[in-house]
Amino acid sequence: MNAEKKRILVVDDEAGITRLLKLNLEQLGDYLVRTENDASAALAAAEEFQPDLILLDVVMPGIDGGKLASHFQASPKLKKVPIVFLTAAATKEEVYARGGRIGGLPFLAKPVELSEVVACLKQHLGG
Amino acid sequence: MIMKSEPATLETAQRYERLLASVTDYVYTVTVDGSAPVSTVHGPGCEPVTGYTPDEFRADQALWFRMICEEDRVIVLNQVERILKGETPSPLEHRIIHKNGSVRWIRNTTVPRKDTQGRLVAYDGLVYDITERKEAEERLRQANAELAANAQALKRTLEELKETQLQLIQAARLESVGTLAAGVAHEVKNPLQTILMGLDYLVPNLPAVNENVAMVLADMREAVMRANTILRGLLQLSAQADFDMKLDDLNDSARRALQLVSAQLIAAKIGVVRKLDPHLPRVKIDRGKIEQVFINLFINALQAMSPGGVLTVSTYVGQFGENPKVNEAGFRQFTRGQSVVIAQVQDTGTGISAANLPKIFDPFFTTKPAGVGTGLGLSVAKKIMDLHGAAIDIQNAPEGGVKASLIFQDQPG
Repeated sequence: MNAEKKRILVVDDEAGITRLLKLNLEQLGDYLVRTENDASAALAAAEEFQPDLILLDVVMPGIDGGKLASHFQASPKLKKVPIVFLTAAATKEEVYARGGRIGGLPFLAKPVELSEVVACLKQHLGG
Repeated sequence: MIMKSEPATLETAQRYERLLASVTDYVYTVTVDGSAPVSTVHGPGCEPVTGYTPDEFRADQALWFRMICEEDRVIVLNQVERILKGETPSPLEHRIIHKNGSVRWIRNTTVPRKDTQGRLVAYDGLVYDITERKEAEERLRQANAELAANAQALKRTLEELKETQLQLIQAARLESVGTLAAGVAHEVKNPLQTILMGLDYLVPNLPAVNENVAMVLADMREAVMRANTILRGLLQLSAQADFDMKLDDLNDSARRALQLVSAQLIAAKIGVVRKLDPHLPRVKIDRGKIEQVFINLFINALQAMSPGGVLTVSTYVGQFGENPKVNEAGFRQFTRGQSVVIAQVQDTGTGISAANLPKIFDPFFTTKPAGVGTGLGLSVAKKIMDLHGAAIDIQNAPEGGVKASLIFQDQPG
């Protein structure tokens, strides 16, 4: 059963957000979610967890999401894993204006509803 | 004695000369026969005033008339006419040309002389030289005119200064709000995200203890969305000129914005009148940003009107300061009479009170009920227009309602 579930890694320094994303997504039954609040530990966590998709905060203490994304993309184990930014640093208008991408990667603007997160996951997980 | 008398005579003559030079008035007498003047005798004082001697006047009986400045001859003739009719006209001030060619002002007072039967036999005229007084008056008049002009200029400058000061305060206010907003927005969005995700979790999981639970959760979600709308407005205020400016059709922007609020207009039973000039020149705009300005104006108009109200959207080429009439001091980027492209949004609502009018562009100023408006719509609209080098003017329309004008430079070529 678990093998069919999509593995999602959520990296955000806000523990409330990661905890609730995990609860919400796992409640839907289609996802297995691992959360990471420490950006510096995210690469190791990702390599170990082998996610199908990474939801990544942008502004975090220590290392920002943009840099972290390039580390993920540089890792042979992770380079094919789609990354979706989840950021408070942009508005929905900016998401729209930039065609939904930042630095070539898709992104969601906080605050975002669960339905939007799920729609985005489905789109980038490729079925 | 005789030896002594010569210098005495000379001295008398010199004194007479000095006296003559200082005389500024003289008497003349006109003899009248029937109702026509027959001869005129000018007294000795005429020379310093007119430059002509009594003899010259006697030899040339028309000299007195030719001496009068052409422009003043009519009024002098009128005076003569009245005397000849037996009236005693009030003193007349007019100009004469002195023998040396200079213009002199004189005051001419006439007194009729009548015989025992009351018939006019002559009249005496007393002529005062009032040139100095007139010149002083003229200098005073000019000085007054200059003062008045200076005062007017000062007043204008003061008004412009006040307007500039207001704009600076407004700009400084907007800038500080913007800076604060950008910093705060990130910090606030994360807690909003937590609340929203929390609600998403609670909705399917919270046992419906009573019917109020669902309502409370919906209210909370609504509150999060409203807080986010305010944040978005604040971020738009703080946004810098990251604009994609192109020559574009203002009519298109107006139409698209109308489309976006059409559902709300229909729900509020508001009619729309479009008066879009099909030959409107294109203007340099960021179409998305200008659409937002239109939307903000439409929403304000919509909320100011009761069902049955009419929203009129018009575009035209106008002359700045004249059509539309605006307080020009507020818009330095335009000069009076220059060609400008105008988009106007007019409603049939209640208008804006005089007390509120100066505050409408202040961030967070709103007259709408709590939760209906953020108080940022017009601040954002103004900011966007400012960054376009364009202007927004909002006034109460004489026919009622509010008229908002967006004023753009008419791009040459």
